[in-house]
Amino acid sequence: MPEPIVELRGIVKVYPDGVKALDGVDLRLYPGLVHAILGENGAGKTTLMRILYGEIRPTRGEIIIRGRRVRLRSTVDGIRNGIAMVYQHPRLVPTLTVRENILLYFHSAGIDPGELEERLRRAQEITGFSAPLDERVEDLPVGVRQRVDILRGIAAGARVLILDEPTTNLSPIEVEGLMNAIKGMKREGIAIAYITHRLPEVMEIADTVTVLRKGRVVASEVDPRSLGEEGLARLMVGEVPPPPPKERGKRLGEPVLRIHGLRARGKIEVYIDELVVREGEVLGVAGVEGNGQDELVAAIVGYGERLEGWVEVLGRRNPSPREFYKIGGAYIPGDRRKALALFFSVAENLAFLRYAHEGPALLTPGRLVALYREVAEEYNVVAGSPWAPVRSLSGGNQQKLLVGSQLHMKPRLLVAVNPTRGLDVATTRYVRGLIAGLASRGAGVLLVSTDLDEILEVSDRIAVISRGRIAGVLSPEEATPEKLGLLMGGGR
Amino acid sequence: MNVHDLALVGVLSLSSMTPIALTAVGEVIAERSGVVNIGLEGILLISAWTSVYAGLYWGGWPAGYLMGLLTGLLLGLLHAAIAVYARGDQIIAGIGLNIAAAGGTTLATRAVWGNYAQSPRVPQAPPSITIMGQRVSIMVFAAVVIAFLAWWLLEKTRTGLRIKAVGDDPRAADALGISVEKTRLLATVLGGSLAGLAGAYMSIDYLGSFVKLMSAGRGFIALAAVAFSGWDPLGALLGSIIFGFGDALGRYYSITSGATANAYLYYTIPYILTLLAVAATAWRAKMPRALGQPYKRE
Repeated sequence: MPEPIVELRGIVKVYPDGVKALDGVDLRLYPGLVHAILGENGAGKTTLMRILYGEIRPTRGEIIIRGRRVRLRSTVDGIRNGIAMVYQHPRLVPTLTVRENILLYFHSAGIDPGELEERLRRAQEITGFSAPLDERVEDLPVGVRQRVDILRGIAAGARVLILDEPTTNLSPIEVEGLMNAIKGMKREGIAIAYITHRLPEVMEIADTVTVLRKGRVVASEVDPRSLGEEGLARLMVGEVPPPPPKERGKRLGEPVLRIHGLRARGKIEVYIDELVVREGEVLGVAGVEGNGQDELVAAIVGYGERLEGWVEVLGRRNPSPREFYKIGGAYIPGDRRKALALFFSVAENLAFLRYAHEGPALLTPGRLVALYREVAEEYNVVAGSPWAPVRSLSGGNQQKLLVGSQLHMKPRLLVAVNPTRGLDVATTRYVRGLIAGLASRGAGVLLVSTDLDEILEVSDRIAVISRGRIAGVLSPEEATPEKLGLLMGGGR
Repeated sequence: MNVHDLALVGVLSLSSMTPIALTAVGEVIAERSGVVNIGLEGILLISAWTSVYAGLYWGGWPAGYLMGLLTGLLLGLLHAAIAVYARGDQIIAGIGLNIAAAGGTTLATRAVWGNYAQSPRVPQAPPSITIMGQRVSIMVFAAVVIAFLAWWLLEKTRTGLRIKAVGDDPRAADALGISVEKTRLLATVLGGSLAGLAGAYMSIDYLGSFVKLMSAGRGFIALAAVAFSGWDPLGALLGSIIFGFGDALGRYYSITSGATANAYLYYTIPYILTLLAVAATAWRAKMPRALGQPYKRE
């Protein structure tokens, strides 16, 4: 290997809220090589790169660029040290023209604006990209915006290019263009850090791979070809403990949720050919965040756009959200702030949540208190008083309140998204038990989660969602880490 | 109305246009950076008061103008501190300033000059020329020059590009190491300073003294001119000329008609014109994307 351009040593990052995003990470970037940084959501990939770019400061650790230890106080320092970062969603000012966005970058890099045309021509030669200088950025497709973002970095003389999940918003043809540009930049001796969780891309473009898991390096500068997709998947996901034994030969009843030929659009387009949840089962939906889970759930509960096909909940086609609750659906959103009014009292929140299921009723204080007693007792919600504002509750109690309010209605279909995210171990176990218990009493559950342990622990069947498609449906026995990692990463 | 009278109204509207133009041009700069200041009315009023005070006791009209500018600058600084650094609600901060200004200047008038209505006249007026028998201050021409300078700042300079970037997408600007806070502070202070000049113009230049609540809604008309302009300094100048013309027309009719009841009706012309102009120009699409939103890095 040649001398590294950039060396990160022992990088630790603790966020103000106490979350340890990085725990002693080492990384080297070499001229002319593509270094893939592989890891699941929350592994710390993006945090590490933002530190290298100067956007955030490490709690501890050293940054060495061309053999000299540097302190990056802001992105201006990063840019002037020849580091360029292309974010997943390009950070261009949408109302300004391409030229103005490039000029802003040049100002930060300390480059004479008069050199724009000449430098841009050179960057275009290297990457094979072109940019419409006088168009407003917001009038350009996302793929072109990304090209502008890459071009301006290269034009400003960057020797290190960080690409954060660069293919997320690209069409296959645009991906090809990006891969060609990367080859061009390699020939120029530019070091590339390629952040991704997609295995086929690693196999295609990476010269070396570093795998991060939960803020630590689990494999440093390994050869992707010798490990193969399976080996990388195992490193990325880790050893998942075997699921606890499940009831064998559970009798499944009628379908409570059927999806057929559904096309939905949100941040990405989702197409689900067939998906069924029956009475008595938990269908887990595993996948990396942003692969169509939100769109799928929105289409089921009814607040999202259904472009084609249908969703059938308890025999009703394409229900509105109101109908969804009325016929026996229940929904635990991934972000509880979407379901709870934090400044309202516990009792009032229960009244809201119940209203969705049962329609209007007189809300006398007596009834509210009775409702509160039932739910708080049954689901161990510690609130102090029915009139305590929800924001005064701990996160765990808020979540139990939300889960309790939904289960209290005795739903026949529960759609739950990351129901235990951010909860402590005991509460997590409790909530998972509630969900499994609901299914064993004959309801159907669609459990959407980015936590593989959760999926494996609770699900009777596991569907993997990737890029808006169901990549496969597995039984828990089939669902090895390799296989799940492969499907989640878009492999075959 | 004959041709002579129309020309007269035109000359009158030059004077009416000036405080609105200065204020609106300044506010265009501030809003392009993402900070809205509805406390302009208050800045006009306070700086009108302070510049008369300085004009009377310290050094005539030059001290008055300097004082007006300084007052606007400090109030702009205060608004920036609340809106940008403390990330407070910009609308509430502005309302607070307006209310404080209305009460504060009236009280200060009583304390200093012994009555609630007005100050003595500042003896010497700033330089001016006379057109059709009407006094036209050099500040009128300065306002036009300032509008062009503001346009040049926003469209042709690095600072202008940065102001627009933080007003439309502070995250993108931040990613390039542009300080969102400092840029917004600069733009807000510039906007406040121009409003301060406008306040001084009203009292020491146009009228010659401070009169209770003399801003009479011009700060709000300036805000309307900003929306009318599509956040462009030259558009704001054009808007101010239209509103100034309405103002002059009202004054002309109130003088010529002689009937006192009608006079009040004519005084409503600029305000009705404002309403119509804003309703007719649905330029929300041009509004800075991050207007009124505090920025905090993730």
